[in-house]
Amino acid sequence: MVKDIVLKTTNLRKSYGKTTAVDGIDLSFHTGEFVGLLGPNGAGKTTTIKMLSGLTKPTDGSITYFGLDFHSNQRFAKGVIGCVPQINNLDRDLTAYENMYHHALLYNVKDDSTNEKIMIALEFADLINYTHRQVKTFSGGTMRRLVIARALLHEPKLLFLDEPTVGLDPQIRRDIWDYILKVNQVKNTTILLTTHYIEEAERLCKRVLIINKGRIIAEGVPDTLKKDMGRYVLEVFKQEGIEERFFETRNEALASLKECQETCKIREVTLEDVFLKLTGRRIDA
Amino acid sequence: MLNGLKAVLYREYTVFRKRAVKQIISSSVPPLLFLIAFGWGLGRQVNVGDLPYISFLVPGLIAMNSLNQCFAISAEINIARFYFHTFDEYLIAPVSEYEVVLGLTIFGMFRGFLSTLIIFIYTLLFGVQLILNPVFFIALAMHAFIFSALAVTTSMLVQDHSGQNLVTSFVITPMIFLCGTFFPVDKLPTAFKYLVLALPLTYSTKVIRATLTGGAVQYGYIYVLLIYCIIFFITAIWTLKRVEA
Ligand SMILES: Nc1ncnc2c1ncn2[C@@H]1O[C@H](COP(=O)(O)OP(=O)(O)OP(=O)(O)O)[C@@H](O)[C@H]1O
Ligand SMILES: [Mg+2]
Repeated sequence: MVKDIVLKTTNLRKSYGKTTAVDGIDLSFHTGEFVGLLGPNGAGKTTTIKMLSGLTKPTDGSITYFGLDFHSNQRFAKGVIGCVPQINNLDRDLTAYENMYHHALLYNVKDDSTNEKIMIALEFADLINYTHRQVKTFSGGTMRRLVIARALLHEPKLLFLDEPTVGLDPQIRRDIWDYILKVNQVKNTTILLTTHYIEEAERLCKRVLIINKGRIIAEGVPDTLKKDMGRYVLEVFKQEGIEERFFETRNEALASLKECQETCKIREVTLEDVFLKLTGRRIDA
Repeated sequence: MLNGLKAVLYREYTVFRKRAVKQIISSSVPPLLFLIAFGWGLGRQVNVGDLPYISFLVPGLIAMNSLNQCFAISAEINIARFYFHTFDEYLIAPVSEYEVVLGLTIFGMFRGFLSTLIIFIYTLLFGVQLILNPVFFIALAMHAFIFSALAVTTSMLVQDHSGQNLVTSFVITPMIFLCGTFFPVDKLPTAFKYLVLALPLTYSTKVIRATLTGGAVQYGYIYVLLIYCIIFFITAIWTLKRVEA
């Protein structure tokens, strides 16, 4: 059913002068999906999100929301999107509540319930204690939560998260993961998350698109993508670098480990291996 | 309806409330210095036509100071665009461009009015006699509208903060000095005179001065200002529609 498709793009392209940031991307998301856009720095993740949210105009290609063209139905489309940009863009002179209220006005969240909605959203994001504090006094993790809470205030059908946990410590990162998963599960919000953290993509996303140099080079369920490589990797530390050997089972890997003369280590295959195989370089370099 | 306008005004008002004292103090210093230096210092010996120089100066000062205050919003929008990225929220929200432009323009006008109020207080202290005529308020409102809309346009067109400074140095400051704020336009060399006649500040200053000092108001200038208002507002919307982040 067409209605079920929240977002669809065809041959989406963006050039800045001679650089092509996004080079013909086709996307199609269903309601409630949690999709990851995984790629290294400069792959075109942010540029993609910017085009999808209306911050920048595509050089070519089309974007539709619920079957309606984005460009000619901007008011509708913008109303069903929530956007968490890579760089926090809260108003630092305002409090958490004031930032939320500003957003409520922009998205025409109805007057009589605005206050209640803001408090529920802050509660859901675990930010109640910060309600009336100035944003400039917040830590990075707290700001991130508030940006996400704000993007959800108008109950978007589709949420864009551009590197939601970049620069945060592991504990805070996990808290934010829990929060995002809760949003996807409780509210059935469709989510597009960009990241260059392998673990983040594997933990959160049901489907992953691997992007490199503006093109989607692989796509699928993380486990399936990895299965083509094998399940286990034996890393052999040689003088010229690390050699990786792939195996279907742990036992095969162990057998190979026993014959190994050099220092060796067994680990599970990750999406990093998939990326390395496809491009010859690492995501997390 | 107009939720975008409400959002912009809410934001500007909330921030202004927190900064009001600092803002008012800092905007009250320059006009005071002008009054002392040119009104008292130099002005005692000089007349312009039948007017004592200080009476000629005060309307010019009102035009200049409110223009500066209105135009100052462009630096703030700039910071919101390039440093804090808060402006992006307006670009992705389901609101019309005209609402955002109108909201920002109204806020700029508010700042312009506030600075005018400060000068009025000074004129009481300096004992300068002014006439308050409703046409003055109409002219001031149009003047503030034009330069606030210009501020929005500028902040949409420049690519960074230094571009902003360039506009201030090459457009705003020369305009302030040439358009009849400190001396009558007809004292200018002919080439400059034609240039100056194309600038809205020339007309707003003339109407503002005529009303405040009891001179003859050229009502045609009000229409000229109205046309500038429309052109500048449409231009601001047009540039906002094209802006990308
Ligand atoms: N405004 C711009 N002008 C010129 N080039 C740009 C602009 N924005 C992005 N680019 C270029 O487009 C390419 C993609 O950038 P983009 O920010 O989309 O990458 P990304 O995948 O989000 O990277 P990161 O992980 O570092 O955030 C890069 O080569 C970048 O230099
Ligand atoms: Mg990015």
